[in-house]
Amino acid sequence: MFAKLLNPILKLLRSESGGTTPSTGTIADASDVALLESVAAGQQQAMATLFDRYGGMVYSVALRVLNDTGRAEDLMQEVFLQLWREPGKFSSGKGSLGAWLAVVARNRAVDVLRGRKPSDPVDEVILTSKMDLSVEIERGLLMEKVRAVMKELPAEQQRSLELAFFEGLTHAEIAQQTGDPLGTVKTRIRSALGSLRKAVEA
Amino acid sequence: MTEQQHTAQEELALFALQALPKAEQDAVRAHVAECSVCREELARLQGDVALLALSVEQHPLPAGARERLLERIANQPQSASNVVHIESGKTAKKIYSSVSWSLAAALLIFSVGSLLKVGQLNMKIQQQAEQLKQQEQDTAQATRALDVLTAKNAQHITLTSAQAHPEPEGRAVYLASTGGLIFQASHLDPLPADKTYELWVIPADGKAPIPAGLFKPDATGSASVVLPQIPVGVRAKAFGVTMEAAQGSKTPTLPILLAGAAGE
Repeated sequence: MFAKLLNPILKLLRSESGGTTPSTGTIADASDVALLESVAAGQQQAMATLFDRYGGMVYSVALRVLNDTGRAEDLMQEVFLQLWREPGKFSSGKGSLGAWLAVVARNRAVDVLRGRKPSDPVDEVILTSKMDLSVEIERGLLMEKVRAVMKELPAEQQRSLELAFFEGLTHAEIAQQTGDPLGTVKTRIRSALGSLRKAVEA
Repeated sequence: MTEQQHTAQEELALFALQALPKAEQDAVRAHVAECSVCREELARLQGDVALLALSVEQHPLPAGARERLLERIANQPQSASNVVHIESGKTAKKIYSSVSWSLAAALLIFSVGSLLKVGQLNMKIQQQAEQLKQQEQDTAQATRALDVLTAKNAQHITLTSAQAHPEPEGRAVYLASTGGLIFQASHLDPLPADKTYELWVIPADGKAPIPAGLFKPDATGSASVVLPQIPVGVRAKAFGVTMEAAQGSKTPTLPILLAGAAGE
């Protein structure tokens, strides 16, 4: 009996959702690609939405590297201003926008930390990523997973990776700091990245 | 380095991390520009580097950061020659207006009201205590479902495909105060025999996702979950659907196939 009562309800839900193209939508739910097209057309609201989506992540990466809230915000602002000025620097052929922004933010933060000019143009960062970071839940779950994998890495791999990624040290500087042979440092970094990839793809 | 002599993966990993001395960095850059194999591997490694960026603890933005950015944007004209090369075909995720939900709710009230009357007539005719008892239970269940659907403070969520194509879609109506949840999905992909879809409530307080029912689509790709057993009073941030082993899972397995944020 319940099924009989419920079927019309589900039918209504279904008929409302299925088969037709929605005529309305909100910019907050737009895809990264659609938002970038709007940014290219000069729509500031689209830029605000991208900032709402990725601003926290970009800021957190910058803060982790620079350990200074003021400099981290400056860097975050520069990353998004660059996206506003030249959205064409990123194309979907370069991977996920969120992942791209995270790498660009990290690279720029390391440049600032080390007091050097930007070492690579942003359009040089091309990455392969299956991550859809535009969905907040998926982004959160992926972050949890990556943190868990990082904790599971052997301590010396973690250390080498952190010195390279967050402190921007070269492999020679890492070897000097840890007292390990250069070849060992290289192998540890490659192994750590491999473990990370494998765990996330599993 | 030639295309035949590919750059070692260790060197590419260090290049992706900018952890090579400048001369070596330049040499790898020059080789990668010419070598498609190394370029592809480097792109994969850049993806791994992006994962590292996700491991950082997330911090709230400084107060006013958004406003400061928007103010700067308003004063920064874009390049006139700006051209975006973006693959077409991806569309904005779907969301439906609250007006259509209100209309649906009104229609639901009418439909269920009519059905209840039919049910009451049946009870009088049959006069059988067992059927009456069953019907009362069913009516209570339907009323509860209707309460969820029509409650002013119910959250209405549209779950759309997290992937590129506009395929599967789900709709959830959730009333936290009673733990009432009704979910209906359409255009779902068929499942492998040993798999099931699982619905999740993502709590707003950051606690672990709560399993909210297993379901499999029918031949048309439709499925529903009605009033699953979930804790009462859980404020939801979002809802998600994953594919799990046939017996279901206690934690969601990525990727999230459908996801929708819960509005206030």
